[in-house]
Amino acid sequence: MALTDHARGAELQGVIHQSESVAPGKPLATWILGGLSFVGIMLSIWMIFLYAPTELIEGQPQRIFYVHVPMSWIGMLAFGVLTLAGVGFLITRDERWDWAARASAEIGTVFITLALITGSIWGRTTWGTWWTWDPKLTATLILWFMYVAYLMLRSYMGRTTSSAYSGVVLSIVGVIDVPIIYLSVQWWRGLHPTAVTSTLPTAMLLTLMVSLISFTLLYCFFMVQIYQLEKLQTLAQRLRASLE
Amino acid sequence: MQDVAYLIAAYAIAWLGLFVYLAVVAMRIRGVHTELAAVRELVHDQQKEKSLDEE
Repeated sequence: MALTDHARGAELQGVIHQSESVAPGKPLATWILGGLSFVGIMLSIWMIFLYAPTELIEGQPQRIFYVHVPMSWIGMLAFGVLTLAGVGFLITRDERWDWAARASAEIGTVFITLALITGSIWGRTTWGTWWTWDPKLTATLILWFMYVAYLMLRSYMGRTTSSAYSGVVLSIVGVIDVPIIYLSVQWWRGLHPTAVTSTLPTAMLLTLMVSLISFTLLYCFFMVQIYQLEKLQTLAQRLRASLE
Repeated sequence: MQDVAYLIAAYAIAWLGLFVYLAVVAMRIRGVHTELAAVRELVHDQQKEKSLDEE
């Protein structure tokens, strides 16, 4: 019993030490990624509205493409990162992988939701409808449901190991949808345009690339923030548990 | 003209969504820092009480 108390005390000291070692300021990565994504986004806004030419057939609404495509890309990338982090947790049993998985799930949900909304607005101007059951759109909606299911499952089960394992299973099932989204335009005939970048004029391609890089940097910036948040929440939960 | 309105709506929703999310994240980080400091203080108090009892 004395030994158990001693072990518990040592563990508590470890948690206290860990919580005290958390710097009150922001990590260096926050400033670097925040600064780079800010500059990148400002540049891409300038390129979208002043540098890229207006598309002849679609007109002004084609410019939605420069924000819709990067958001969809982040939505898919984040699910890939979520699955990889989940597998990392399965192999190493290191909770830091789980923090990364939870962070990526949250950010991915935000981006895929915005991608669906911007895509819907673009669809209204080009197809004359807000929504159609096109294979790519349907597969993207399934991915959105996968994200929501993941977040609900993790929230319901709390910060436990079984919650992390259940999350990994769900992410492995869900990640199958990512290549389906990407290849759906080649596999099935639908309304969604194919991802052919080679036919784009240089100015449009350059604008798209700058926008893609800027949004990827923004995703990395959010990853650092949410990862830190997950870490702090875990420490706070452990300290609270030690009081009970 | 209506096409431009759709373009503005798409960009407004996208940027507003991201800014709101950024603000929510910043508030959550601030909140958890405050909570952590409060819980840490409680743990220290509890430890002090414990050591006084032992003496």
